[in-house]
Amino acid sequence: MIVSCLPVWYISVMKVRAIQFSPALGNIEKNMGLHVSHISRAIADGRELIVFPELSISGYHLKDIACEIALKKDGSQWREFENLSKKIDIIIGAPLEEDAGIIYNTALYFSRGKWRHTHRKVQLPNYGMFEERMIFKPGDEFRTFKIGTMTAGILICREILFPMLAYLYFIQKTDFLIGISNSPQRGIGKDGISSFQLWETMGYVFSQFYQQNYLFVNRVGFEDGIGFGGGSFFARAGQGICQKAKYVDEDVLDAEIRPADVRRARLSSNYLRDEQPQLVLRELQRILNA
Amino acid sequence: MLKIRCDLVEKILVTAIRDSIHKNGYKNAIIGVSGGLDSALVAALCQKALGSRHTFALLLPYRISSPASLEHGKMVCAKFKVPYEVIDISPAVDAYFDRFPAENRLQIGNKCARERMSVLYDFSVRRKALVAGTSNKSELLVGYSTQFGDSAAAFLPIGDLYKTQVFELARHLGVPEAIIAKMPSADLWPGQTDEGEFGITYKDLDIILHLMIDKRWDEGEIVERGYRLSLIRRIKKMIINSQFKRTMPPVVKLHARTVGIDFRYLRDWNK
Repeated sequence: MIVSCLPVWYISVMKVRAIQFSPALGNIEKNMGLHVSHISRAIADGRELIVFPELSISGYHLKDIACEIALKKDGSQWREFENLSKKIDIIIGAPLEEDAGIIYNTALYFSRGKWRHTHRKVQLPNYGMFEERMIFKPGDEFRTFKIGTMTAGILICREILFPMLAYLYFIQKTDFLIGISNSPQRGIGKDGISSFQLWETMGYVFSQFYQQNYLFVNRVGFEDGIGFGGGSFFARAGQGICQKAKYVDEDVLDAEIRPADVRRARLSSNYLRDEQPQLVLRELQRILNA
Repeated sequence: MLKIRCDLVEKILVTAIRDSIHKNGYKNAIIGVSGGLDSALVAALCQKALGSRHTFALLLPYRISSPASLEHGKMVCAKFKVPYEVIDISPAVDAYFDRFPAENRLQIGNKCARERMSVLYDFSVRRKALVAGTSNKSELLVGYSTQFGDSAAAFLPIGDLYKTQVFELARHLGVPEAIIAKMPSADLWPGQTDEGEFGITYKDLDIILHLMIDKRWDEGEIVERGYRLSLIRRIKKMIINSQFKRTMPPVVKLHARTVGIDFRYLRDWNK
């Protein structure tokens, strides 16, 4: 009886599933099938939110394929996701042609039978093996949205590596941050793959200093020899990485997200209370206007 | 500097081989096993990825190839349980040079490399297999290969490993010591060694390549590391002069979208 008196943000737990899989490059039909199959299994397993990696519906190195397969806002695929989202919340990654010839690299959230939120990737890598600026128009905002009782935010791949972008969610009081990625494994050395360490370092930062529950979902598989490393993980607010999927191989990671952990982390060392965004803003203006 | 975590590299390469074969609708890989280290490593990796039933080796000696090469090739196949066939390429190569005598030994070496490629590709059809290439990063960068010969393959599983890393991974996978211990050689003529051809050891070549290519150090920084400027420039020239081997032939552009220029799709398109 005591439990029922607690506020909803304290007692709620969300059962989340991260899908670390390998979509087929440019084959939307096949990838739709993989999504539906994973979603159906997650529903059967009683999960409440399923998260797929960046560009899960299309594969990564799209090059000229992008304009041939980019999903249209008024297309039919969404209906299937909207229908499935009556039983489970869903986040997918997709190339989205919002206006004729204008494609964004997006993360899409479906819930309670509707497409509820779109995050358009802002940081489009365009160096070395990456050429996203040749394909996508960058997004320009970091808006939060509600997943159940939680305030959530999404970062896509390279955005995760810019701590000031996660900071934008932090000062919007986000308690569940989701990073979806297509990170190629690179930088082999005696200690392993250096790119794995990048993501895990940021996971530690988001969990410890932004005190958010953080789910990182990376794909696996190969595209012309470029391998995606997996290693998806869940970092609990204030506790660092506490669950990790396999590197290289397909895997599924089930995590329980508790908003109470955010509160507990803030009570132990309250970075959000002590943060001074107005000061940051003033200083940014002074620096940029100098 | 070039040490690698072998268990992780093995996992990545084995997964990649499986992916390359299966994604393209095949089950089998075929490898030209020379008796040298690179092909021994690729045979071991393919066997791990696909199993003995789906890995096949061809040993393709020429009459002046070192007899030890053939023995080492058989040793590798026995060690990793890879079925193989020995095909002497001498009659085919000699028939050609009987009509058009070779002017130098490099010509014979190149002809042998292309003859081996030709047999491998013919057997790839017979065996319903993809050809797993054996080029490593060191030789890809300096162009130490025969174009359309040993460089021809469906995929290159060890193409991003320097030769010194090939040694390390080969040891990890249990490649026989006799193969690891001998001097690397393309075995194009008696007594030939890779390091003799380069005029530098693989250890030094790989460090210079790694600093130059992966770390993007400039000449001055590499000199400070103790290497001669003339050597660094010679290696750079080898890289530049062999770029043609690492790209598809230029297509003269006439239309809006041109193959090789702005008709941009990966090989894994729709797979």
